[in-house]
Amino acid sequence: MGLFDEQLIEIRRLMSGMRDEEGLREFDALSREPWPLGRSLVLEEDTGLELGNPRIASLSTLLWTEDGDVADGRVTLAGPDIGEAQENSLPFGQVLIVRGEFANEYDYYRDVRDAVYDTHLEGFSVRTMPSRQTIWCRASTDAVGSGLSLADLGAAFIEALKSVPGVSAAEAFFVTSSASDVARLSPAATGAQRLVDAMMKMYQEQNFDCETCEYADVCDTVMDLKKIRKKLADDKAV
Amino acid sequence: MILAVCGKGGVGKTTITAVGARALHAAGTRALVVDADPAGGLAMALDIQPKKTLNDVRKELIAEVKAGRRDEKDLAVSVDYLVAEALTEMDNIAFLAIGRPEDVGCYCKVNVILKDAIDGLGRLFDVALIDAEAGIEQVNRKVMGAVDYVLLVSDTSAKAVRVAETIKEVADRMVGGEGAGLLVNRARDEGEAAAASKDTPLDVLGWVPEDDTVRSFDASQKSFFELPDCPASTGIESALSKAGLIQT
Repeated sequence: MGLFDEQLIEIRRLMSGMRDEEGLREFDALSREPWPLGRSLVLEEDTGLELGNPRIASLSTLLWTEDGDVADGRVTLAGPDIGEAQENSLPFGQVLIVRGEFANEYDYYRDVRDAVYDTHLEGFSVRTMPSRQTIWCRASTDAVGSGLSLADLGAAFIEALKSVPGVSAAEAFFVTSSASDVARLSPAATGAQRLVDAMMKMYQEQNFDCETCEYADVCDTVMDLKKIRKKLADDKAV
Repeated sequence: MILAVCGKGGVGKTTITAVGARALHAAGTRALVVDADPAGGLAMALDIQPKKTLNDVRKELIAEVKAGRRDEKDLAVSVDYLVAEALTEMDNIAFLAIGRPEDVGCYCKVNVILKDAIDGLGRLFDVALIDAEAGIEQVNRKVMGAVDYVLLVSDTSAKAVRVAETIKEVADRMVGGEGAGLLVNRARDEGEAAAASKDTPLDVLGWVPEDDTVRSFDASQKSFFELPDCPASTGIESALSKAGLIQT
């Protein structure tokens, strides 16, 4: 059993459904020439395509597993790619899935999360709001013209995630097909965020008064959170 | 380059910043223009209505902290996101207003994160131009820590020149390393400007004549982006060119 088992099952079920309904495209990130890295700020006048404007649809989540199936190096896309968009703004959902072995969930989470936060592509600006699980991106006109694709973005994330000690596999799933498709990811992303928030609270506050904790419901139902809570409480007692 | 326009209240900092923004807009330079004065005069001078201010960002960030999100990295990326929401873009110019704080209390960590984000944002533009709050407070609090050049503005009064000198002293002590120069604003003629600045140890960049065109724009609240070339704009652009902000 793992922390995000329920969310991973839900994401796999959605991917399967989307594959049947509208078709998914898959790319091998490991064989791609990497897109140059670099922090950019793309202004509106330089924007070739916007992804994940919160007024349209935006969602981002990061899940990990110790023993679940992860298609290492695979980027899966539902909807148009950056160079194929008919509009100048697309809804955007981003799901990153990591497999790894770790001794401390909190440190591991922070490492994989930081690897995502610190990945910046030239000509592509990314803003994320963790508490809203949103990601808002702009690809510059130059980058779009030079062929920047979501496979490049996925490849950069996968490479960054695999540089984290303990990570053995990583994959990316992007949704640009419609706002409603992005919304379908929301229950899994919201559930994952509740788990992460509960875990962060446990580690940061070291307070195990479950009577007053707003995350008691998730801790009580998720085996891995119970284990983390018990381990931390035992450590504190020692 | 990050340039801050500083000086005593009422000497014309906002007008000078607005004319600088106009020059950067016309030149197509990717520029961040910051209204760091809580009074918000620069937004009015440029006829911009910001959707969100940095004070709104600060409040949202405090709400995040109160909701239990205290992880520094999460807060840092949240600031990036919220500041991006607060940017008002006009072609090559992005405008950011500090807004007016309404709440009390110390949120030093929040403010430090916010300052770091603004410093980092400024470096993603070709230049950043800041209309600072009057006096020494922002310099004293190292808000201007990332500034490369302090454009000190005075009118022809001895008091305004002394305030400019004080700001330079504080900047040297608190920040250090940045360039600085004095611009004498609203002088009747070159002689009056020279007399006002003759005893100052500051590097004098030039002077700006009183100008009816500027006065009429101020009176009618027309956007300074539409200001025609005039003697005042020539004087201001010459000083900003010497400071290295614009090329003429």
